[in-house]
Amino acid sequence: MEGMAGLVLFTVAVAAVATLLILAPGVAVAYALARWDGPGKGVVETVLALPMVLPPTAVGLVLLELLAVNGPLGRVLDAWGVEVVFTPKAVVLASAVMAFPLLVRSARSGFEEVDPRLVAVARTLGDSRARAFFRVTLPLAWRGVLVGALLAFSRALGEFGATVLVAGNIPGRTQTLSLAIFQHTQLGEDAQALRLAGVAALLAFVAVYATEVVTRRRGRRVRA
Amino acid sequence: MSLAIRLPLARFTLEVETRLEGASVAVMGRSGSGKTSLLEVLAGLRRGARGRVEVGGRVLLDSAVGVDVPPEARRMGYVPQDALLFPHLTVERNVRYGVRGAKPSRVDEAVALLELGPLLSRYPATLSGGEKQRVALARALATDPALLLLDEPLAALDVALKERVLPYLLRVRDEAKVPMLYVTHQLGEARVLAREALLLDEGRVRAAGPASEVLGPAVRGLLAEEGEVEENILEGVLERPGAGGLRLRVTEGLSLWVPDAPELAVGTRAAYAVPSEDILLSTGPLTGVSARNVLAGTVVRVESAGAGEDAATVDVAGVRWVVRLTAASVRELGVVPGARVYLAVKSAACRRLR
Repeated sequence: MEGMAGLVLFTVAVAAVATLLILAPGVAVAYALARWDGPGKGVVETVLALPMVLPPTAVGLVLLELLAVNGPLGRVLDAWGVEVVFTPKAVVLASAVMAFPLLVRSARSGFEEVDPRLVAVARTLGDSRARAFFRVTLPLAWRGVLVGALLAFSRALGEFGATVLVAGNIPGRTQTLSLAIFQHTQLGEDAQALRLAGVAALLAFVAVYATEVVTRRRGRRVRA
Repeated sequence: MSLAIRLPLARFTLEVETRLEGASVAVMGRSGSGKTSLLEVLAGLRRGARGRVEVGGRVLLDSAVGVDVPPEARRMGYVPQDALLFPHLTVERNVRYGVRGAKPSRVDEAVALLELGPLLSRYPATLSGGEKQRVALARALATDPALLLLDEPLAALDVALKERVLPYLLRVRDEAKVPMLYVTHQLGEARVLAREALLLDEGRVRAAGPASEVLGPAVRGLLAEEGEVEENILEGVLERPGAGGLRLRVTEGLSLWVPDAPELAVGTRAAYAVPSEDILLSTGPLTGVSARNVLAGTVVRVESAGAGEDAATVDVAGVRWVVRLTAASVRELGVVPGARVYLAVKSAACRRLR
């Protein structure tokens, strides 16, 4: 049972760190997509959405090629003494990459709901661009950002395909709930796999339910 | 205030070149003539505007030397057409929004002037259109703006009398003494509020200068196309001489009986609207009529108001009234400039604004 607690804790920690890691860049990208309307926007949007539709293993493979010690990014990191592949860092990174599009999508629709003329009025009332963002845009879009973060967190909790390629499945080092379920199934330990699946279901329920609660509140506010 | 603006718009180029005193300017013109764009250029919200803008001795835009003061440094009190209050903030926090540091007195003044006390803890979603407009006005006023830029919320006659912002604007002009540029469709409002007027047509200045000169036939022609009914707006002090009821003293020579209501205190300022269609004009002295107000005046001019109707401007003790008549009665009665006429106004036709 102690192994299970460690596993759950590690899985939740990975998802939380991955979500926190993408929060600022995700909000920035979402805001830019909501407000910027230049040439090539469609291409940028598509590229950003790719991790959602590609096979996760394909994304994992790309990450592995990039971050391997002789890969283009891995070489740089290796020179700084940073090792990523097959470490907990790789688990976080894989989850973060897979969760990023979900955060951006939801946060972006939050920003799109904010009337840009409200920001214009804030500017005439003495706000710089940045100040108006934090006093008007973000407070009005925060539900979209929060829903995006919860969705990203939920996605990260269950990440498997990309993680297994770039981080492996090393018990006590890179193994998360979903990886452990796979391992137990492979070994024919169905009872243990089922127990873990139950725990995973519970975690997912809490995360998705929280998302629902936030979304419903938004609906009420719009009607008012 | 000196403006030399060029801004390409979808249908035409806004080209405004004029000098104004700038204490109280009415901006008039058809829908889509560039009025809102002009306000946005002054507020610094339109990119691509070229030329030079100087307000109160301060250069806000001079594209020749690369000066374009950002909106947050312009001190323009912008009140957009649909108020655009911050929906996540209470009325009080909306009004305080642009006030930095400890300047609570400006906020208190704005709240008192616009009578927002009872609304302070409400959220914008629960306010009526006129209330929103007043909050937006207070929010702009509280920042101590160098110039108020007001976009008229709705064609005035669509708005219930108590929702009209005009009485508050008169207080802003006379008590807060803040210079203002005011977009309106209402000729009556413009006459009572403005010292100067700017008439726009397809992005160009059709006329600009003292209100008394600009707000004449040209404006009426434009408004007639839009189906606006003209109002006479009279501003003065309330009095109760004897048992006769309530009277509005507009000038030394002009007082008007108005509907009495117990809550109206003698000595307060008030504004009343009288539609130009609700006035009876006679070329002979009127006796034995039920209308309580019979005013003697002189016809200043008569012009066509479209659709077989004429608008007669009548001077009564220095106050100009506009009366709508059919072109036929103008002919039959001989209503010509210089003619002595009498206006009969029922007190019930005098509707108090607010």
